[in-house]
Amino acid sequence: MQQRTLTITNRLGLHARAAARLVKLAGAYRSDILLARNGARHRTVDAKSIFGVLLLAATQGTLIDVMVEGEDEQEALDAVCRLIEGKFGED
Amino acid sequence: MRLEGIGVCQGVAIGTAFLVDDPFGRIVRVFLPAEQIDVEVTRFREALHLAQQQVLEATERFRAALGSERAYILETHLLMLRDSTFTRQIEDFIRENHANAEWAIRDVTGHMLDIYRQINDDYLRERGSDIADVSHRLIKILSGTKTRDLNEMAENAIIIADDLLPSVAADLDPKRVLGFVTNAGGWASHTSIIARSQSLPAVVGVRDLTKRVRSGETIIIDGTTGTVILRPSPETYRFYSEQRERQLQQLVHDMEERELPAITLDGREVTLRANIELIEEIEGFNRYNAAGVGLYRSEFLYSQAVNGLPSEEEQYEAYKFLAEMSGSDGAVVRTFDLGGDKLHLDGFKPERNPALGLRAIRLSLNVQHVFRTQIRAILRAASHGTLKILLPFVSNLDEVREAKNIIAEVEKELRSQRIKHEEDVEIGVMVEVPAAVILAEPLAREADFFSLGTNDLTQSLLAVDRGNENVNSLFDPMHPAVLRAIRFVADAAHRMQIPINVCGEMASNPAEVIILLGLDLLDLSMTPSAIPAIKRLIRSIRLEDARTLADQAINLTTPAEVHRYVNSRFADLGAQFLASAHFTKLAG
Repeated sequence: MQQRTLTITNRLGLHARAAARLVKLAGAYRSDILLARNGARHRTVDAKSIFGVLLLAATQGTLIDVMVEGEDEQEALDAVCRLIEGKFGED
Repeated sequence: MRLEGIGVCQGVAIGTAFLVDDPFGRIVRVFLPAEQIDVEVTRFREALHLAQQQVLEATERFRAALGSERAYILETHLLMLRDSTFTRQIEDFIRENHANAEWAIRDVTGHMLDIYRQINDDYLRERGSDIADVSHRLIKILSGTKTRDLNEMAENAIIIADDLLPSVAADLDPKRVLGFVTNAGGWASHTSIIARSQSLPAVVGVRDLTKRVRSGETIIIDGTTGTVILRPSPETYRFYSEQRERQLQQLVHDMEERELPAITLDGREVTLRANIELIEEIEGFNRYNAAGVGLYRSEFLYSQAVNGLPSEEEQYEAYKFLAEMSGSDGAVVRTFDLGGDKLHLDGFKPERNPALGLRAIRLSLNVQHVFRTQIRAILRAASHGTLKILLPFVSNLDEVREAKNIIAEVEKELRSQRIKHEEDVEIGVMVEVPAAVILAEPLAREADFFSLGTNDLTQSLLAVDRGNENVNSLFDPMHPAVLRAIRFVADAAHRMQIPINVCGEMASNPAEVIILLGLDLLDLSMTPSAIPAIKRLIRSIRLEDARTLADQAINLTTPAEVHRYVNSRFADLGAQFLASAHFTKLAG
């Protein structure tokens, strides 16, 4: 399993449009991709579920743990990190 | 056919009815036999597939029309329809509970909406409306009703709904909507707020509306009287078309006159302010160029709050907006005029006569934490502009003194907490109880300003309940007793040199305005849309003539004599005003 902790830095946080981008991206990989608010691993959500991602309610400044497991885990993790660190192409 | 409701935004609109229905309202629970369950799940999956296709097509259309910037809302809907956490829950519900698909969707959606309501972020919480929209779409497909795409709506649409969901309202194309009518709702409902923020005619609280109207029918609404007319006769249609035409001319004319000062022929300037209930109405306020807000009825914040009382932050945001928008003329915030029943106090027994009960300033002094929260929010917001505090329903000097002490304590508290706020905010007294009239002079020593609430004053002085149809014909602000009371208060304020503003309906009735001006009441506050007509009146008369008229009227002894006299004189004085081609509905 691969994992990393990231900060949501775009101004609006993981709102609908950013969440939609993330879900679409996650859906393109075969690995399982889970997200949790930093330190709340008991409450993970599926990055391929729009409902799950929106329920993270991750506003700007929130720390997010990304956990990936599966055959393409490295690529998937890198792609998710690029999206989040690139502020979802916004700002 | 004529239906009656509550007019919440003025004006006439004639258009084509467009029914926005609430598919959740008609769902019934069906218990399925075991052998039906697989069929039901398949039925759900087919509906899901169709919904996905619909959204996909709508996304393409949307993108072509509006660009990809706004299409993402539909992309979110598509992702929701493809989300297995959502669809699996519905299928599980069907299987476990032997439920029909519609019921399962309603239940699962309801549960999700509950979770979203708890999110502590406004923007994300709003996404609950996307879930509702997606579920509505599924249910419409399942029930076989054709999905009415809001963007396929006709030009000149009048929106008919049970209650207007904010998500639906947000999707409406404002260029095609002429007005709103709903079954549900009161003055502060979603529909009213949306209508007033766009200055579109609206009638709410029309019973059985959605059962009687069909999409595509011609419909007329009069937001001034609260009337809705279905399938009008040619004569009725012509009557309202003419009214509508006049209204449009009037609007053009008003805009031309927007910048003109409200100044009498003999050169006296009159201040015209706006009465506002909802923060969203500030647009109308700008349109008519009001000199600040003369009365902001803060209890409407209460009726809009989601969970009971509005918090300090919610109030602060509203008052701050008010302070920023009302400019250098500022805004007068009247503290909550609520009754005890609204606060759900422990042990509070229903009152037999709440109009004379524990309400307004009495309640504020009784339940001080609510009052302190409100004062904190006002003082903080006052640092962003000019705000004044107005105390309602005062009948005793001690109430004013006690309120001032509390305000001073709150100032001290904010100072010690180093929270940015404004000190020395002006504190005014609402004169609307006979005791306050009689004590006007001593009250004027305690108050920084007076606000004359002529509606409540007329009611309490004449002992007439305006809502009681057996006696409401006796309600008359032109009653000589009312006029003398007004003169008494005006004289006290002038003698004590404090400002006095009139904020009741008298300030928007032309004949009555002449009397107010004649009593040297030159600061009037009214519904924003009344400003243009009152300004025209002021620009067409001499203050000297208004004084003579008021002096004569006030010495008469019956309401009938006052009306007869004022009508005969008004015909002369208001001649120029009446002759104005754009004069509309004010003659009554």
